[in-house]
Amino acid sequence: MKKRTGKGAVCGLMIGAAVALMMSGTAYADPITVVSWGGTYGAAQDKALFNDASKNTGIEINRESGASMSKACLQVESKAVTWDLVVTGSGGAAAAAAKGCLEKIDFNVVDVSDFYPNTYTDYCVGSDVFSTVMAWNTEKYGAPGSPGAPKSWADFWDVEKFPGTRSYRANSVDGVLEPALMADGVPADKVYEVLSTREGMERAINKIRELKPHIAVFWESGAMQAQLMKDAEVDMITGWNGRFDNAKKDGALVGYTFNQALLDYDCFAMPKGAPNKDTAMKFLAEVSKPQYQANLPYHITYGPTNKKAYEVTTAPKELIEALPSHPKNVPFMLPVSLDWYAKHRAEAQELYMELLTQ
Amino acid sequence: MDNTTALPISIRSLTKKYGDLFALKAVDLEIRSGEFLTLLGPSGSGKTTLLMAIAGFNHPDSGSIRFGDAEMVLTPPHKRDVGMVFQSYALFPHMSVAENVGFPLKLRGMAVTERKARVEEALDTVQLSGLGKRGIDQLSGGQRQRVALARAFVFRPRILLMDEPLSALDKKLREQMQIELKHIHRQLGVTTVYVTHDQREALTMSDRIAVINHGELAQVDTPEAIYNKPANEFVADFIGESTMLQLTQDSAGRLTFGDSVVASEAPDPSHKDWSLVIRPERLRVLAKDASAGDRHVIFSGTVTDAVFQGETAFALVKLTGGSTLVVRFGTGAVSEGSRLEAGQSVSVGLIRDDLILIPSDSAQ
Amino acid sequence: MTQTASTTGQAQALNEVALAGQERREQWTLLGLSTPAILVIAIVVLVPVGWLFYLSFVGSDGEFSLEHYKKMIEYKSYARVFMTTFQVSLLTTLICILLGYPLAYFLAHLPGRWTGLFMLAVLLPFWTSLLVRTYAWLVLLQRKGLLNDLAMQIGLWDSPIKLVHNMTGTLIGMAHIMLPFLVLPLYGAMKKIEPDMMHAASNLGASPIRSFWNVYFPLSVSGLVAGALIVFVLCLGFYVTPAVLGGGRVVMVATQITAILEYRFDWGAASALGVVLLIATIGVLYLAGRFFKFDSALFGKG
Repeated sequence: MKKRTGKGAVCGLMIGAAVALMMSGTAYADPITVVSWGGTYGAAQDKALFNDASKNTGIEINRESGASMSKACLQVESKAVTWDLVVTGSGGAAAAAAKGCLEKIDFNVVDVSDFYPNTYTDYCVGSDVFSTVMAWNTEKYGAPGSPGAPKSWADFWDVEKFPGTRSYRANSVDGVLEPALMADGVPADKVYEVLSTREGMERAINKIRELKPHIAVFWESGAMQAQLMKDAEVDMITGWNGRFDNAKKDGALVGYTFNQALLDYDCFAMPKGAPNKDTAMKFLAEVSKPQYQANLPYHITYGPTNKKAYEVTTAPKELIEALPSHPKNVPFMLPVSLDWYAKHRAEAQELYMELLTQ
Repeated sequence: MDNTTALPISIRSLTKKYGDLFALKAVDLEIRSGEFLTLLGPSGSGKTTLLMAIAGFNHPDSGSIRFGDAEMVLTPPHKRDVGMVFQSYALFPHMSVAENVGFPLKLRGMAVTERKARVEEALDTVQLSGLGKRGIDQLSGGQRQRVALARAFVFRPRILLMDEPLSALDKKLREQMQIELKHIHRQLGVTTVYVTHDQREALTMSDRIAVINHGELAQVDTPEAIYNKPANEFVADFIGESTMLQLTQDSAGRLTFGDSVVASEAPDPSHKDWSLVIRPERLRVLAKDASAGDRHVIFSGTVTDAVFQGETAFALVKLTGGSTLVVRFGTGAVSEGSRLEAGQSVSVGLIRDDLILIPSDSAQ
Repeated sequence: MTQTASTTGQAQALNEVALAGQERREQWTLLGLSTPAILVIAIVVLVPVGWLFYLSFVGSDGEFSLEHYKKMIEYKSYARVFMTTFQVSLLTTLICILLGYPLAYFLAHLPGRWTGLFMLAVLLPFWTSLLVRTYAWLVLLQRKGLLNDLAMQIGLWDSPIKLVHNMTGTLIGMAHIMLPFLVLPLYGAMKKIEPDMMHAASNLGASPIRSFWNVYFPLSVSGLVAGALIVFVLCLGFYVTPAVLGGGRVVMVATQITAILEYRFDWGAASALGVVLLIATIGVLYLAGRFFKFDSALFGKG
């Protein structure tokens, strides 16, 4: 489970909420409820961030899985908030904030002065940087960087030069239109400008329509991205870099490139009316410190949002340089514009659903 | 129902086994054209198996079934052209009365108008005129029975089979239907094979009865013969009430029971052991001092129970030898002083001409 | 009471008033006993459905609005999603009928001691997780799955056939999951058909085929309709199987609702879809009910 999917979370969430209710009465300062995603992502956060931060501050935490902004909003709207800190994708946080579901972050408590620009907003604080990349079966198209291997979104669309099946995102427009425009020749820095008109969006949609006959599967989750590559069900796919690294560790013949990838971040958000707002804010300040984020790369290949983490980390150079937020990689990528998503996501989503249901 | 020609049925060494058990054991049976023959036997005797074999619903292991001259044993049931009334009636609940009765005619491709007339005629015969449009679930048990009957003969089969068709009806209706069935049989003239376990029903309706037990025919004969001259202990026991006394043969070759001499010699010298079958209604209570004469075989004993049952009464008489006889008599005789009371000593007599002697050993 | 009756009215029979009172009390008691059930139904069914209707008319500004319904007309994707939903449900139902009828027939005519064993085999899928069964199909049907591997090894086809991540895979998975829902009521109806019915039909001169169509099938059709309706309605709201085996190509209403909730937190839009699906389902059931009556009349004339 990762990113803005998390749909199997529904059940876990209900149970989680019930458990949280039962546990909300422990002695000593009330424990705060921290909700993340399951699988390797949540485990990585536990090991790098939560366990140590809890020990060092003395703040007890209830860890739950099944984070979802829609569930957080449901809690807020039904005035039964049990969550204090929730992991979310940046877009999800922006949408939830727009619906008035989130508390403002108190930047007097949380120090973001060393953060990369655009890795926090008034309503959420970045926890890690990931990248939506183009990945492929290395047996079919060669290892990344080797001669003849795909390099750009244009290659992803070029089914003559790279014959084979493709996989693209299902049900959500997040990270869907940008690659299409770049494949259509729009330079990275002009992508959001073009997309800010209906014509621009339709141009991107039409480009995807062109590729649709070759899209064998539309993926719905990070787990599915990894599985599709492990099973060699498709030859080329879009997805989140950490998932492909994990799939590779499991033996999948998969490689990817940061070139033209979409730079994005996950963050912590606080539902409005969180039961332990002040304690949770302190905990958020703690996990945002560089010494914790510095440990994250050991567990998952997502980069820190705090620049200082690169200074204090003890991780080996190859690992550091493979992170999406590494200064060496960032220039190749297009940072996702939350501003564009806030303004145009609803319309873009409808247009993409039109295409998917055709 | 004139132009019906009845067919005889000839069954030769028909055998059917279920596992190691014989349901039918080399059964030979000639059913005459137009007769009403009842297969009578206890449950599990094979009577239904035999009927189903005639209808074609089960495959015998060996043997022959002929309708007239035609071998039928390999013919599938829908080509045998026999009518059948099922115990459950098996009326089609999704069809009306007329549709049920018209079904076999429709299958035979009969035109609608002719079909309608024939259905009405058949419903008339079973006294259900005008009920054709009714649904099956709107009928009483007796009416369903009649519809089933009409459906079985409407296509003028030359053989009619009935599998305990009256068993679901109450006693009064059943007795009424027995007469009616017999009447319809006479009207149709069709060869009818009727299965029942009710001996009274069999006696009432049949031209002949085939008593069947353990897959074998015990006796095939007219009702009177079956009752008066049972061929073996099973038939004697199964048909009517009876007490069986085991006789001994003395040195003079006489058959005796206790002190009573029953017969001066065995009817058939090839058998040594004989039983006397006594029908309760054939016993007469004699005056206490009655002496043994040529007319009666006399038994003496004590009344243990006396039971009044309306038109008849019966008494249990314990004989000196230990056996108990049932004596049944008409209650019209009460005024004549033949009323019995428990504890009373009596002599009962059996007219010699009415003696039923059956060998109780196998022939030597 | 007796006294009252005898003094007040000569028209009243003995204990008439008291007995009538007792009968009334019994009826009230019965009503009282069923109250909890009625309340539970009200709470579990009516309240959520009412809430669903209410939410579907609340716009993003919190005021009464038809915007969610307007959007469903404005964008063709919604109509297509409903089309897909009904298409998948109908096809699944048809496949279940084609597979389930012979299967139920087979089960209903097995000798007793075998029935239990085969019934267990039919019901076994009920006891395994839906997700597990669905993923099992994925493993079997995918490009490098067992089926393609096997078929290519024995030379049935040369390159992998696309069996999953499309309508085919979805229908295979759905039919497998839905089959027991069709077979069980159908089996029940078939078990109720006495063997004598078929004997009677053939005795009256019907060939096995005519016996089947004129007698057996009409008598089993109530179970078939019941099973088919259960399957169809369950299919309409199905999520997991099309999501996993459809490869994003088979977008059904439930998928769309989840997407709206997950990515847009838009309860109103999701509710509107739910309302339309609910109304469409009720409409289909109503039509099926009428059609079935019409049908049974047809069979009656048979």
